[in-house]
Amino acid sequence: MTSDPRTVPRIDRRTTIKWLAGTMTAAYTGCSSDEKYLGDEIPAAPHRAGTLPGVAATLDAPGYGSDPDVMNPVVPWSRTMSEAQLRTTTALCDMILPEDDRSPAASGVGVPDFIDEWVSAPYSQQREDREIIFAGLEWLEQQSQERFGSSFVNADDRQRTALLDTVAWTGRAAPNLADQAAFFERFRWLTVGAFYTTEAGSDDVGYIGNVPLVGEYPGPSDEAMAHLAAVLEQLGLTLTGP
Amino acid sequence: MPRKVATNERYDAVIVGSGAGGGMTALVLASKGLRVLMLEAGRDYDPYKETPMFAVNRDAPLRGEGTTDKEFGYYDATVDGGWEMPGEPYASAPGSEFMWWRSRMLGGRTNHWARNSFRMGPYDFKPHSRDGLGVDWPIAYEDLAPWYDKTETIVGVYGSNDGLDNHPDSSPGVLHKPPAPRVGELFIQAACRDMNIPCVPARRAVLTRPIDKRSACYYATDCGRGCSIGAAFQTTTSLLPMALATGNLTIVTNAMVYEVRLDEKGRADGVSYVDKLTGKHEAAFGRSVILAASAGETARILLNSTARSPDGVANSSGQVGRNLMDTVGAAMEAQFPLLENRPAYNEDGAMGLHLYIPFWLYREQARGALDFPRSYHYELGADGRRAPGMSMGNIADYAGGYGVKLKQDMRRYYGSFLHFVCRGEMIPNTGSYCEIDPETTDKWGIPTLRFHFKWSEYELNMVDHFQERTKELIERLGGKIHWGDDPPADAISKGGQIIHEVGTTRMGDDPESSVTNQYGQSWDVRNLFVMDGGIFASKAHKNPTLTIMALAWRNSDYLAEQLGKQSL
Repeated sequence: MTSDPRTVPRIDRRTTIKWLAGTMTAAYTGCSSDEKYLGDEIPAAPHRAGTLPGVAATLDAPGYGSDPDVMNPVVPWSRTMSEAQLRTTTALCDMILPEDDRSPAASGVGVPDFIDEWVSAPYSQQREDREIIFAGLEWLEQQSQERFGSSFVNADDRQRTALLDTVAWTGRAAPNLADQAAFFERFRWLTVGAFYTTEAGSDDVGYIGNVPLVGEYPGPSDEAMAHLAAVLEQLGLTLTGP
Repeated sequence: MPRKVATNERYDAVIVGSGAGGGMTALVLASKGLRVLMLEAGRDYDPYKETPMFAVNRDAPLRGEGTTDKEFGYYDATVDGGWEMPGEPYASAPGSEFMWWRSRMLGGRTNHWARNSFRMGPYDFKPHSRDGLGVDWPIAYEDLAPWYDKTETIVGVYGSNDGLDNHPDSSPGVLHKPPAPRVGELFIQAACRDMNIPCVPARRAVLTRPIDKRSACYYATDCGRGCSIGAAFQTTTSLLPMALATGNLTIVTNAMVYEVRLDEKGRADGVSYVDKLTGKHEAAFGRSVILAASAGETARILLNSTARSPDGVANSSGQVGRNLMDTVGAAMEAQFPLLENRPAYNEDGAMGLHLYIPFWLYREQARGALDFPRSYHYELGADGRRAPGMSMGNIADYAGGYGVKLKQDMRRYYGSFLHFVCRGEMIPNTGSYCEIDPETTDKWGIPTLRFHFKWSEYELNMVDHFQERTKELIERLGGKIHWGDDPPADAISKGGQIIHEVGTTRMGDDPESSVTNQYGQSWDVRNLFVMDGGIFASKAHKNPTLTIMALAWRNSDYLAEQLGKQSL
């Protein structure tokens, strides 16, 4: 068995560091062209640190090691996000996965706490994500305060939507917001993974399984087979061959 | 299960390693009444008590995602192992990148393998005769066929006999009935039929009927975690308990073997090891020594056995560590609009391949119509409606956006992606080998390995062919490539990454160019045998574990006969 590295999108560490370095010097640059990229009017990065205070600076907790008790899993490291970061995280993950008629909002099933668990983990991938997520949350907060005069948490839906729309589609974000779009993608990746691994999320997409079956594996249901036969017909293919 | 004993006793056989090769060797020898000592570098492991059957990702740290502590995920049945292990380094030479997966536990890597179990065929044993490259094996398929039947019978393999070129049938009654195909597999099979490509039941070491105390698969919970009901084969629920039941096998765990000891006549009289619990150097003695520590570790032990020869033991040919091969890997993923919003059903199945695509172009290849000389097969990732993990985030990346629309898109796209995976044959080349690193030792002071590795045009052309055929399949099914259509040099796996490393102590007919004879018996030290993937003379595209076990059985029969005749 092998894992495919592509299942975990990685943002190059140098990119992150460059982005964070950029936070020191970025200045507002308006754009007068009529042909604007979505979000072109927004500065590239926060130009003021400390909007979200209380961030733990270092991670010195141990991991679970190469031989953990897999029958009794525990997370051996502490959560490290600040209250302010968690508030922004909660607001953002509920924008990504709000409550609807099929399932609760992300915060209703503990997604913010999971993101805290993730960014507090002592592993290299999680340390990289920590930088990306913290810088991104800070950016969101500063943007919200500058544009709307309120924190992201207290901004209204229309305001928050306007902000997210600048970064929510990776290929469509303005070049100067590429790092913020990468932050949003990573944050969404964590939110979605955390949500759909819960029972509510798993039920939402209709996962059926993880139950012992007696006798032979039954294969697809009649309904699934009928659907398959219909789509094959559209392609000029059949289940049984010529 | 294992017990630590004083090892000053002289055994009939001392086996290093408890995985596929060591497990089979122990069972065969112990069943014949020989007294066997097995040394395992890792800890004892009890899959009946330690397998997290039915555990869900949300209960694991980081939703079970892989970390540097557990690369294949929290629940993976790898103990103290992975690509990187603290205190047990290895190196890649400049210009090479080689990945070496190890597992320090009773049963070794058999506890978590994919269970894919394809027989090598007649062409696979005589590749040089067919295309002039590499070397032939000293045996033909027919020589091993009876042991394939015996091995499949004791292991338990599902599959079907399809009468395909170079994909031998098993004898009647040997195979277990394969599970019904999933929707995605039938979808691909329909396109294959249209394009004259075979798509048939895969062969996997998973029971679909009980054997002894091992239950049939109940179609749930990832085989990579191990299997507490014994359905998915691993030595710790099968060969090792059976061998222990003879009363002739003693297992010592936490015994890190680093040297084969030779007596004054140049015969092996045992091995030296570090008892990891005490840090003390110990020795174990036997009338024969069997190395089954994995292709890399076995080569390391031989090359480090320099007490009587600076080039190591069994290395008069200079071939120990050479001819290192791994499987050629590549993959492509596509999204299929026609599979969006498809009806839900339990798609777990046997948690691995139900159907696969065997190589189908041997005739075209023989007449020179292809620009690569060896073959590959497809493994199909068609369990899109599997239990959600963090990779659900990849679907969101594909969909983009957020909000209620994203939730709708998740339902729409879940189960609409299919993976196409290439597993191909590598030809041995002079640039791929391992050697002792003069710079580095592990935490016990044992010199470590340095790997050299390179692919040739043959492998890159094969990947290109796989990609082109895959694009045709995807197009025929109305799909859109999601990833994997990179230039072959980027798309191909890294050496070792497929964890099929073989060839470092290859068998042959000629002591000048091989390390062992056809029985895995060292040309130089007649009571020293290798029973792991090291003895492979070529690396067919077929996953090696089944062949390691069939060879170990055949070669253990030979070894037992020699011990009986006192001819070693």
